Amino acid sequence: MRPLDGTRILDFTHVLAGPFATRVLGDLGADVVKVNSTSRTNTNAPGSPYYLMWNRNKRALALDMSREEARGVCRRLCAKADVVIDNFTVGVLDRWGVGYDTLREENPGVIYVQMSGMGSAGPWSNFVTYAPTIHALAGLTYLTGVPGRDDIGIGFSYNDHQAGLHGAVAILAALEARRATGQGQRVDLSQFEVGVNTVGPALLDYFANGRAAEPGGNRLPWDEAAPHGCFPCAGATSDHPADERWVAIACMTDAQWEGLRTVMGDPEWSRDPSLATAAGRLARAGDVEAGVAAWTSGLESTEVMERCQGAGVPAGVVQTGVDLVERDPQLARSRFLREIEDPHPTAGVTYADRLPIYFERTPCDRYERTREIGEDNAEVLSDWLGMSATEVRDGEDAGYLT
Amino acid sequence: MTSGALQGVRVVDLTDERAIYGAKLLADLGADVVRPEPPEGDPLRARGPYMDDAPGETGSLWHAFFASSRRFFAVDPGTEAGAAQLGLLIDRADIVLANTGAFAVEEAQLDDACARRPELVLVEVSSFGPDGPWSDYLAPDLVAGALGGAVATTGDADTPPLKAFGELNFMVSGAYAAIAALAGFNCVRRTGVGQRIHVPVHECIASALEHVFMWHWYQDQIGLANKPVLERRGSLHWTNAYQVMGADAGAVMVTPIPDLDGQLVWLLERGLGEELLDPRLQLPEHRRELLDRLMDTLREWVASEDPEALFLEAQSRHLPYGHVKRLDEVADNAHLAARGWWESYPVDDERAVRGPGAPYRFSGTPWSLGSHGDADRDTDAILDEIGWEDGR
Repeated sequence: MRPLDGTRILDFTHVLAGPFATRVLGDLGADVVKVNSTSRTNTNAPGSPYYLMWNRNKRALALDMSREEARGVCRRLCAKADVVIDNFTVGVLDRWGVGYDTLREENPGVIYVQMSGMGSAGPWSNFVTYAPTIHALAGLTYLTGVPGRDDIGIGFSYNDHQAGLHGAVAILAALEARRATGQGQRVDLSQFEVGVNTVGPALLDYFANGRAAEPGGNRLPWDEAAPHGCFPCAGATSDHPADERWVAIACMTDAQWEGLRTVMGDPEWSRDPSLATAAGRLARAGDVEAGVAAWTSGLESTEVMERCQGAGVPAGVVQTGVDLVERDPQLARSRFLREIEDPHPTAGVTYADRLPIYFERTPCDRYERTREIGEDNAEVLSDWLGMSATEVRDGEDAGYLT
Repeated sequence: MTSGALQGVRVVDLTDERAIYGAKLLADLGADVVRPEPPEGDPLRARGPYMDDAPGETGSLWHAFFASSRRFFAVDPGTEAGAAQLGLLIDRADIVLANTGAFAVEEAQLDDACARRPELVLVEVSSFGPDGPWSDYLAPDLVAGALGGAVATTGDADTPPLKAFGELNFMVSGAYAAIAALAGFNCVRRTGVGQRIHVPVHECIASALEHVFMWHWYQDQIGLANKPVLERRGSLHWTNAYQVMGADAGAVMVTPIPDLDGQLVWLLERGLGEELLDPRLQLPEHRRELLDRLMDTLREWVASEDPEALFLEAQSRHLPYGHVKRLDEVADNAHLAARGWWESYPVDDERAVRGPGAPYRFSGTPWSLGSHGDADRDTDAILDEIGWEDGR
């Protein structure tokens, strides 16, 4: 048994944010039925690496929603669903005849989640967004960088993951509310609002004190901690950034600074009494960081990390994807990364990074490959609607279940 | 229905930075979340920024945000009475959220609590998991992000690897902690049986890296990858199709995706990009060259454009550009204002400050912020609820 066994989720999401929400719920055991059609392309194409990453543990149903017969099947599925979720721009499901107001008449317990970019109302509600759009508008791009640069930002689609996780939280909370009231409800999740929320303390600072945060590299925006940064190490295999080696060191207390001094061999420059406090080290952060970098640059990053951690100093290798996959002992120990047993019909061997939640009694350790378009038509339509294999085959032959 | 989705769910919050966001998510959704803290105050109350730049018992805006909607319970678990009070509090809880090593976690005797109450959901969040060679490593947000793979992706060729602004790594582990708690509680509702649940921060961060594992696993299929690691390279997305470009007094995140033809038409309207119509570039095998040249053209064009006007026109053409906003511009955003999004964050009984609203809106069980105050604010009421009288 898994925590969400028996929970039925009809999934109209695409790209990353929505599929990440339903991936988490599928990992938790929900019966996630991914609705797709042969007309979808690019990042949504089943078999593309991006699609493979976010759609495991889901069953695949093909519906050509341009056809009235498919919309009819869709309405019947919605009537059986615990959760209906999409991340289209506002209004698409309404145009298909499965908007919330229609749906709740037939299924008052349904939880209807719209994960649009900007939310269901407001002057920007029709805006098209991807994570880089949200990062820019939410302040994350401006703030993640070094002083004087507004063109760096986060190097991956952070907000898509966060929106997905918030979508999963919202669905689980709405299921709990339904248990108490018997009623479903509509959840309007704006990916933009999720993004702005992530800079919460900086916004409180702005509204309370009129101070707008600025990019500060690896320094902490409000708290005194130094050294606090990434430092170059030996072992680079080329001068290409992908081949460089770095270690992060974060002295959060004066005692940790003392520990670092010891690990570094108590160099002359570090003995300056003015560096005994975080404020003193911050005042001369450039000198301190140059001194630390001079030490790390002659050592392998793993050695720096182990020596620092052995002395109670927070430090960690700046791990790349190769480090995570091939060298990380924690991830290897938990089999966090794995090949999926069942090969994909067209992509061949596929992989999974497991759900990072370990349940003692209801383990979530099943990872089934991403399915091809319509691969589970017969099973899903039988399980949810009691349709016969012949009916499904007829729908496929007629083209609306494709 | 007028109250939060989690009304009636009782949570004890024994978290530190690594999962406090998860407890916030539950609290703002209406759960009754009690946060025990030492009588002298939670060390997290010392984290800046501060209201009126004045630290103090309730001055931390960091704490007002992350410890929103809680009830605070001052307790000394090192005393016999304090340990007993903590035990009674946990005996009334549905869920305990705990970070290994955080305040009162050891004294709470959570093993005993689980044995005593099989219906309890205990979510334990640690940096690296309960065992393994790094299980005792110290990992504040920067170090956690470095080991988790987030830092290596961020920065540019001429900068060090960079952490994202703020506490973004721990907001991921916090969100996972909330998911773990609610999924575990869902089991309790169905079966009556609780359980221990472990959440390693390290794995949470690694699970949310978009292209990083894909780049390694599917290098041959992606077609863009000549190494199993994509180097840090500023804002240029792994697809090469999204990038922040300098504009006239500002910057804009520009992309021709998903409507490449629409982008070309727009450029042609401006008298640019005619060379991109070369039939050779329209062939699928030259798509990458077309994209690269299109991005070059866009870079040149955007440099002299007003960023806000460009962004708005792009959106009117259904192109997902984004104007790179400073924080003051985010605070002044007309869309958020029109949605009535901002909320008032209580700092203490007298003071409040504007802050972010709900990350999601529930039509039936509205999200709302509860109170905030000093460590002792709710202690007497909580002692009454757990049946504690002087001496017992």
